[in-house]
Amino acid sequence: MNEERTPALEVQSVVKNFRRGRGLKKKITRAVDGATLTLPRGELFGLLGPNGAGKTTLVRCIATLLIPDAGTVKVLGHDAFKDSLFCRQRIGLLTSGERTLYWKLSARDNLNFFAALYGLTGKARDKRVDYLIELLGLKEVERDRLERYSSGMKQKVSLARAILHNPDLILLDEPSLGLDPQFARFIRQFIKDELNKKQGKTILLTTHYMDEADELCQRIAFINKGKIVDVKTPEQYKRDIPHTEVLEIRCQGQPDTTPIQALPGVERIASEFKDGVTTLKVVAPRAEAVLSEAIEHLRKGGRILGIDIKQPTLEDVFLYVTGTSLGADTAENKPEAQ
Amino acid sequence: MTNDGPGQPTFDNRHSSLPWRLRHYANAVWAENIKEWKLELTYPLDFVRSLIDPVVYLLPYVLYGVALVGGRFSPNLQKLVGTTDIVSFITVGYVFIGFMNMALWAMGFSLRKEQMYGTLEAVFAAPVPRWIFTMGMSMHSILHQFLMILVQLLFILAVFSLKVNPLGLLPALAMIGLMLIALYGIGMIMASTTLIFKQGWLISEALGSILMVVTPIAYPLAVLPVFMQKAALAVPTTYGILAARHFLIGEQMGFSVGTAFMRVAVLCVVWVVFGLVIFAAIDRSTRKSGTLSHY
Amino acid sequence: MSLAATAFVIRAEMAKTIRIYFSYPIIVVFWAIFPVLWVFPFLFQGKALVGSGSSAAFQQLTGSGNYMAFILIGAMVSNFVFSGLWGVGNSLREETYWGTMEYIIASPTHPLVILIGKTLAEAAVTTCIVFLQATIISLMPFGISFTVAKVLPVLLLVVLLMLGFYGFAIAFAGFTLLIKEVHGWVHTLEWVFFLFSPIRYPVQVNIITEFVSKLIPLTWALVAIRGIILLNQRDVGLWRITGILLGMDAVLLVGGYFTFVALERKTRRDGTVGMH
Repeated sequence: MNEERTPALEVQSVVKNFRRGRGLKKKITRAVDGATLTLPRGELFGLLGPNGAGKTTLVRCIATLLIPDAGTVKVLGHDAFKDSLFCRQRIGLLTSGERTLYWKLSARDNLNFFAALYGLTGKARDKRVDYLIELLGLKEVERDRLERYSSGMKQKVSLARAILHNPDLILLDEPSLGLDPQFARFIRQFIKDELNKKQGKTILLTTHYMDEADELCQRIAFINKGKIVDVKTPEQYKRDIPHTEVLEIRCQGQPDTTPIQALPGVERIASEFKDGVTTLKVVAPRAEAVLSEAIEHLRKGGRILGIDIKQPTLEDVFLYVTGTSLGADTAENKPEAQ
Repeated sequence: MTNDGPGQPTFDNRHSSLPWRLRHYANAVWAENIKEWKLELTYPLDFVRSLIDPVVYLLPYVLYGVALVGGRFSPNLQKLVGTTDIVSFITVGYVFIGFMNMALWAMGFSLRKEQMYGTLEAVFAAPVPRWIFTMGMSMHSILHQFLMILVQLLFILAVFSLKVNPLGLLPALAMIGLMLIALYGIGMIMASTTLIFKQGWLISEALGSILMVVTPIAYPLAVLPVFMQKAALAVPTTYGILAARHFLIGEQMGFSVGTAFMRVAVLCVVWVVFGLVIFAAIDRSTRKSGTLSHY
Repeated sequence: MSLAATAFVIRAEMAKTIRIYFSYPIIVVFWAIFPVLWVFPFLFQGKALVGSGSSAAFQQLTGSGNYMAFILIGAMVSNFVFSGLWGVGNSLREETYWGTMEYIIASPTHPLVILIGKTLAEAAVTTCIVFLQATIISLMPFGISFTVAKVLPVLLLVVLLMLGFYGFAIAFAGFTLLIKEVHGWVHTLEWVFFLFSPIRYPVQVNIITEFVSKLIPLTWALVAIRGIILLNQRDVGLWRITGILLGMDAVLLVGGYFTFVALERKTRRDGTVGMH
């Protein structure tokens, strides 16, 4: 096998179901539905979808933490189920959630422990841990217990753990979730400049932040309700709806938006209700054509707070392609929330 | 590990050789053990309490025996097993039964603890067979148990002046060593069942209660009903305790030393194989059902 | 907060605690059966050391040679007491694990009111469980029988015992807000009680245990209860023991309240309310 040509990751028709509920009331939820992806070496690939879309489930299948019900996952040509030890040696994993490290230990103690699990000992381990602590700006706090760290600092330690053993494939599940803008910016720059550009790592990143995917990823897969809907570069996505505008209207309350969907020229519509305000996004070739009628309908339900006509962003492209907003929670796929 | 630059190690084909892998696994076990000690010592008060506990736990059983007999020596015990000192008899039994509780609780809840920390998935994603982690935690538990035994024995020696045969220490330890291997198998079963049953402590408590009754901790096997005696002979701690008492205080076991060692060796194989099989099955099941990270 | 509102909260907390408890019915069954099983090693130990069901040395110390009945009565009463310790003492720690503790502290209800609700729920559930245990035990051939004439004074003693013990448990609940590993501490407390009160053996066998035991309400209650049930004593000095228990209860309840309030305030000052 020519190793250099072997894709870093091949996901073929992966299906994963979960059973929820008790006794006779058990319901089967399909969290991942026939996902297929191929990542060449050195690519920074994004998996973009709302909460509950199946992103985390797919990542856990790749990381050998879940066994798919159908389909195959190959890491550098090796089957993740049959040859899981090989795959785990070559995968670095960062999962979402704060509680994935030992809070009562320092950053150094945490990294030393995981280094041993990844076969690093003695001077090689010390050298590697020193290097990562320096690289991620943790020198001043390396001996403090993690329970005293901010979320951003903990995420840095998680990132250090993910790349301790210099893996070929790095899986980053929502790496900037819950971080303040300063840390989020640092994490993104680190991923793009250090890991991908400088070290040439293959990275699969999941996110529901549109701008993160747009900024970082060379290709993006849209995932919704367990299905991979499309895989393109960000520019290709935006070119796909070249003559489309997005009309964004904010209004009080929760008006009925069905009449607006029926307006001629409206291609897609999504609404998000938060803090007593509905944000309605209407995708149409010419927003002005539907503007007055849309406002007429909405005024019946409440006060109009703001109107904007924009060129589509990746988030709007997602809405256009899937019919779902990136900010929505897909109720079926509760395992995502675990 | 190849070293391509400052801190740039990678896995390559050399790292799949057997000697390297065995070294790697041994290091992982040791690292798991050290990690557990570090975490335990972040609660120093609890650590001190855990050392004093065994003394407080043991004394009522000794004093109960003294109250029953009206002193330290029991003629009836002499008739049954050839030894008369009830303090030594009870102490040796209760000291070593700590290992059984260790298998059921400390080992049994090792993976559940990782689930509680939130680190189980991170640890299971590492390129180490998953049963290695229970081994590392078992090492910590065993060392902890030995520390507790030391405190217990020192106290009993000081207060009651324990009368034991020092030459019996080595063979007793040999039997204890075999017993620990078999208990590791039981510990693996408990560790994996606590992953899938949220009320796993019930299983440990129920099994522990049954084992506490059938294991001849503070009494000879002969006083148990016949069906309990048969059950006791399938439990590794029975042989550990009987052998320890035989070598240290001269209890007559009812079978030869060779028979005892042979039976424990068989139990080692049975429980360890059983433990590994159950563990592998439940590991696969939790990865199928996606409940690995659920606490 | 008005009395009616306080009573409402207590009732709501009781209902919630009981509902959670019975959502695992197997746990109730476990606690009804296994504590009875735990006393069998003592039976076998007795048979090994004295060769029969009766001990002359025991008779001298306690007035009855029936050591198994001694153990079984100790087991029933201690189950009642320790379930209070586990239930009440551990309950606030559980709220911390569930992540609800901060919300309780932030509410207008004093955490002590919540504790009272949990205490009453625990008492209700434990009474059912101990009743089941007593039924099982009375069917065993150990010479224990319950009559109305025996049960009423025993109930009085148990109520007095539990009052004081809940005071202790409430203080312990405050302590659990500061420590992390509660289960270990509860076990330690249990074993300290096993050592210094006549649950499993007559404490008179050692002068230190005898002296310390007099400071523990459980000792007085157990001596009286065994006198009534085992020795069929009509006059166990019931009024004297009632007076002693009432005095101890007052100290424990008042002490428990102030200890809890002080410790709860400390956790809020230190900012460790939600931590575990």
